[in-house]
Amino acid sequence: MTPQSLLQLTSQKCTTGCPILDRLLYGGIPCDSITEIVAESGSGKTQICLQLSLHAQLPVSHGGLAASSLYLHTEFPFPFRRLHQLCLSFRSSNAHHFPVNDNPCDRIFVQSVHTADHLLEIMSKTDPFIENSKNQVPVRLIVIDSIAALFRSDFDNTPVELKRRSSLFFKISSKLKALAKRFNLAVLVTNQVVDLVGPNEGINGLRIGNLVCLHTSGRRVCPALGLAWANCVNSRLFLSRNEEVIREENEKSNGQSCDFVKKKMRKLYVVFAPHLPETSCEFEITREGLFGVER
Amino acid sequence: MEIWRLPISASQRGKLISAGYTSLSSLSSISSSDLARELKVSESEAMNILKVASHSRGSETSNASCSIVEGAQSAWDMLHDEESLMHITTSSADLDNILGGGIHCKEVTEIGGVPGIGKTQLGIQVAVNVQIPNDFGGLGGKAIYIDTEGSFMVERAFQIAEACIEDMSEYNRFLRKDFQECKIKMLPQDILENIFYFRICSYTEQIALINYLDKFLSEHKDVKVIVVDSVTFHFRQDFDDMALRTRVLSGMALKLMNLAKRFSLAVVLLNQVTTKHTEASFQLALALGDSWSHTCTNRIVLYWNGNERYAYIDKSPSLRSASAAYSVTARGIRNSSSSCKRIKMM
Repeated sequence: MTPQSLLQLTSQKCTTGCPILDRLLYGGIPCDSITEIVAESGSGKTQICLQLSLHAQLPVSHGGLAASSLYLHTEFPFPFRRLHQLCLSFRSSNAHHFPVNDNPCDRIFVQSVHTADHLLEIMSKTDPFIENSKNQVPVRLIVIDSIAALFRSDFDNTPVELKRRSSLFFKISSKLKALAKRFNLAVLVTNQVVDLVGPNEGINGLRIGNLVCLHTSGRRVCPALGLAWANCVNSRLFLSRNEEVIREENEKSNGQSCDFVKKKMRKLYVVFAPHLPETSCEFEITREGLFGVER
Repeated sequence: MEIWRLPISASQRGKLISAGYTSLSSLSSISSSDLARELKVSESEAMNILKVASHSRGSETSNASCSIVEGAQSAWDMLHDEESLMHITTSSADLDNILGGGIHCKEVTEIGGVPGIGKTQLGIQVAVNVQIPNDFGGLGGKAIYIDTEGSFMVERAFQIAEACIEDMSEYNRFLRKDFQECKIKMLPQDILENIFYFRICSYTEQIALINYLDKFLSEHKDVKVIVVDSVTFHFRQDFDDMALRTRVLSGMALKLMNLAKRFSLAVVLLNQVTTKHTEASFQLALALGDSWSHTCTNRIVLYWNGNERYAYIDKSPSLRSASAAYSVTARGIRNSSSSCKRIKMM
C-alpha cells in the first residue's frame, strides 16, 4: 500500500453551466465525491441534474468532464421533453464544441430504479458498464434523482427496520464512493424534504450544517432520510423557494406608480461541504435552464 | 549483568557476594552508607561500587530505576516523559487550552460530531500543524491521513497550509525581528508533500492498512500524527454479527494505541454521530456503540450551541470536562470571533 501524492491529486469539477453558480461552488460539482441537493418538489433539483448531465459533455478546458452521464431516476416519468428543451439551448450556446448532427442527449444514459435493492443491483452492473464506456465517451457523472423515493415506502417505523434502512444507506453510499474513486466520477444525488412539526427541540432541533433551520415555501423543513443519510454524503446544497411580495416601480402613462407583485424567490444554500464556506445565492429557472442571479 | 562481571577488585566482589548481593538489581535501591555498613568498607569505596554498578547497567535516567518487569517504568519517570511530550496545536487557542496544549502524542483522541461541524477541517488542520517546525513550538513531523469517506479536498488542505505558513511569517515578523535569516522557507506544496494520504474503500482495506502502518512507520520515523477520517464509515454496514464488529473494532483500536505508544505519535480518530433510542426519547451519541467508547483515551464531542461551534471534552484521563468555542474560517480552525477580546498571537 502506497500513499497517494497529494500534489498529483487534483480535484476536478464539473461546471453547472452558470458562471455565478460555479463561482459559489468553487468550480462546480466535484469529482470523487457525493454531492446532495435537497429541496421540496418544484424547486429545481431535476433542472440542475439535467443541466449538469448536458454540461458534463463539455471539454475539460471549458469546465466539463468530456464525459457522458448515467442518470438513474426513481420518480416517473423521466422529463424527456424538458431535457430536449435544455438540449436545444445547450447546443446553440455551445455549437462550436459539437459536430452538426450530434445530439448531446445520446450521451445521457437513463435508467429507472424502483427499490433500494434494485439500486444495489444496478450498481454492481455499473462497474463493467463504465469500464466499457471508456472506449467511446467515458461515463464520468452519475445522477440519482431522487434517492428519497427509494426509501419512503418500503420501511416500517420500527427500530429494527430503521436500522436495516440505515445499513442500506451506508452500503449504497459506500458503493457509490468506491465507483467515484475508481473512475473519478462526480455523483449527484437529490433528496426530498419533510416538514418539521412541533417545537424546535429534540431531534427536530438537530442542526446539521450552516443553516439553523431550512425554510422553504414559508415552512420549516428538514432533509428526508435523517441523520444516517446525512453522514453518507460529502456535500449538501439546499434549494429554497419562497413567494415574496415586492414593490415594483412602474412607469405608466399617467406618471409613476408602483405595483405589488408576487415574485418567486429561489435561493441556493451551501449546507455543508468540506471545501466551501457558508454561502448562498439567488437563482432563477428559465427556458434555457437554471442560472444564478447577481443582485 | 551480574556482580562477577563488574570491573571491581576481587576482594570487593567477594564481600558483595558474601553479603548477599548477587545481581545488579539488588544494588539499585541501596544507598552508599548502607552498603558501606553491610560490606564493612569505607563509604567512598561503597560509592565507587555503586557508581560502577549503575554505569554498567547503562541506565539512561540519572536516578536508577528499579525495574522488576522488563520495560516497566516508574510513575516518576512517566511524569517526566509526559511533561516533555509535545502537543499538536489546533490553531485555536481556546481549543488548545481545554486540550491541555493541543492534541497529545502517545494517545488516541476520538473526535465526533454531526455532519458539517468541522471534523474533517480539524483533521486537516492537525495534519498541517504537526509540520510546524520546532522553532515555532511545533513537532516538525509528518502526517498520515487515512480518508475513508472521500471528504478530503486537496484545495482546502492547500488553503489551510498557506494560512499556516502566513501565520508563521507573522509570528516571525513580530517577535524575531533580529533573526533575518529565519525566513520561512516552507511552501504550501512542501506541507502537502508531508501528508501521506491513503484512500480506503472498505473495512477490510481499513484493517489491512492499520496492520501495515507498523511497517510504514518504522520506515518513516518522522510521522507524528495519524488522522483517520472517519473510523466509522465502513463499519456501519454489512455487519450482521455485532459481536464480530466489536471484536474487529477493539482489535483495531488496540493496534492504534500500540502504534501511538511505540512511535510517540498522536492518533486522531474522527467519528460520526447517531441516535440512540432510549424508550420514548432519543439521544445523540457517537457511533460504533458502547464498547468502542471505552477504547479511546480521549473523547471530544463537537456540537452546535446557538450559532457557534463548540468542542466538549467528553472523556479524558487527564483533562477536565470543559467546552470551548471555535470557528471554521477560510484559514482553517480558529478561535471563535466572539471570544476575541484582544488580538492574540499564535
